[in-house]
Amino acid sequence: MELLEQISFNLQNGLDDVVAALTKDAIEKRIPPGEILSDGLIAGMSIVGEKFKNHDIFLPDVLLAARAMNGAMEMLKPLLIKEGIPIRGKVVIGSVKDDLHDIGKNLVAILIKGAGFEVIDLGNDVPAEKFISAAKEENAHVIGMSALLTTTMPVMKKVVDLAKDEGLYGKIRIIVGGAPVSKEYALEIGADAYSYDGANAVETVESFFPVNN
Amino acid sequence: MRSVVDFAPEDVILDRAAILGSQGIPEEAELTENFERIYGEAIELFKELTEPAGIICGISISGFEEVFRGEGLNEPSNPVEDIYRKSGYLSLFAVTLGAVLSEKVTELFDSGDYASGYMLDSVSSYAADKLSDLAARNLQLELTAKEPAESQWRVLSYSPGYCGWNMSGQKKLFEVLRPQEIGITLNESYLMSPIKSVSGVLIAGSGKIHEFVSSYHFCDTCRTKSCIERMRNL
Ligand code: B1M
Repeated sequence: MELLEQISFNLQNGLDDVVAALTKDAIEKRIPPGEILSDGLIAGMSIVGEKFKNHDIFLPDVLLAARAMNGAMEMLKPLLIKEGIPIRGKVVIGSVKDDLHDIGKNLVAILIKGAGFEVIDLGNDVPAEKFISAAKEENAHVIGMSALLTTTMPVMKKVVDLAKDEGLYGKIRIIVGGAPVSKEYALEIGADAYSYDGANAVETVESFFPVNN
Repeated sequence: MRSVVDFAPEDVILDRAAILGSQGIPEEAELTENFERIYGEAIELFKELTEPAGIICGISISGFEEVFRGEGLNEPSNPVEDIYRKSGYLSLFAVTLGAVLSEKVTELFDSGDYASGYMLDSVSSYAADKLSDLAARNLQLELTAKEPAESQWRVLSYSPGYCGWNMSGQKKLFEVLRPQEIGITLNESYLMSPIKSVSGVLIAGSGKIHEFVSSYHFCDTCRTKSCIERMRNL
């Protein structure tokens, strides 16, 4: 099996150590980093995504693959930057103020990262102002917010309003999610999109690009 | 009467099919070796780290009326109001699995072991829910033992955030129940810490009082629809 195929294959099986060793090998053999990314890692992740959609595998298997992907990306990132290959896009993500539940947000962040985007995870209990300042500092393309309860959802509107005040609205995309959030609520507050789960969040973020690139 | 309830870790029954079901996995699904390993490890970790605790506090119908009214934000028409008025016994409750489990979940995510973190969180979520069922069952057994002739007691739990009982109801509930004693605190957005905690009222009466048609407007946005299963099991 060719080296990049091996990377893809082992990534599908969630073998992070093997994927890391093979990626190192590929870098040493001077395979262009863009190729390692597209024909090895992203190729493997796409198959994982397909299998997940068809219920051949389930979330824990996807998370193992994402871990392998992220480990290899750490090695590739400096090389991609050096070669001027653009990162797919930057997403600032967090659970809103007072919300201490972050598993849903974590899953979304991992899956978006696993799809090759750069993710800045602000953690949980994130005030509205922090989303905006981080998005500005990081030159992010997307702000992602998560909430567990209806009582913390109003912070999402506050972020949208602040984005309007700061002239970011329309330039930066805003995506919201979490158990009590709905498409209607996203529309009502002026967010660009609502996602019901991690895989859907990846598709939504992908649909935003190219944005501002 | 207000009392702290001691649960033993083994009291929390972990039903594999139900846990996998909560992850959207059908019973007949074929699972990978990786999946089985992660599931097995999560069950072991859960057993090691869970610190189940509960607190209950019997309350009169008029006393509960005040708690239920809360901040005046409940849905004007809701099933809980009809049910508690017909009850024979009411008890406020709060249960928790403790903070250590959630800390472990965070630690696993932070170390990049996402799959194990997710699985432990999922097992814990299921168990927290079942702990409130256990509190209800214990009360049912207690009431039935006191009045064996009237073994019609059926106890179900109802929680703020469900069935038209507004989340802000947590405030009054906490004032009366004071679950801080077992380590449960409430923040300004009515979120409880530890995360794997459930609060509410145990309503005891005949099975009949718990029956309602789930056609209230807020039933459309309910994500669990667990009332259907609960009524089926009465
Ligand atoms: C940036 O873009 C994006 C895009 C997508 C995004 C996103 C961001 N963020 C999330 N997503 C999406 O992708 C993620 C991955 O697929 C998903 O993230 P989630 O975080 O939703 O998913 C998790 C990985 C798994 N999902 C979950 O953990 C939540 C599932 C449900 C069934 C649920 C569970 C399991 C639990 N609960 Co409770 N619980 C419900 C939930 C109903 C439901 N079906 O969603 C919900 C959230 N709970 C509710 C309530 C009321 C409560 N719960 C409580 C307790 C519990 C348990 C402990 C039993 C348990 C675990 C809770 C936990 N979070 O750890 C209480 C609060 C707990 C607290 N600490 O304060 C309590 C207040 C009840 C009480 N009085 O005790 C409801 C909230 C209603 C409201 N008005 O806000 C609720 C919606 C159920 C309902 N009534 O329909 C998606 O939402």
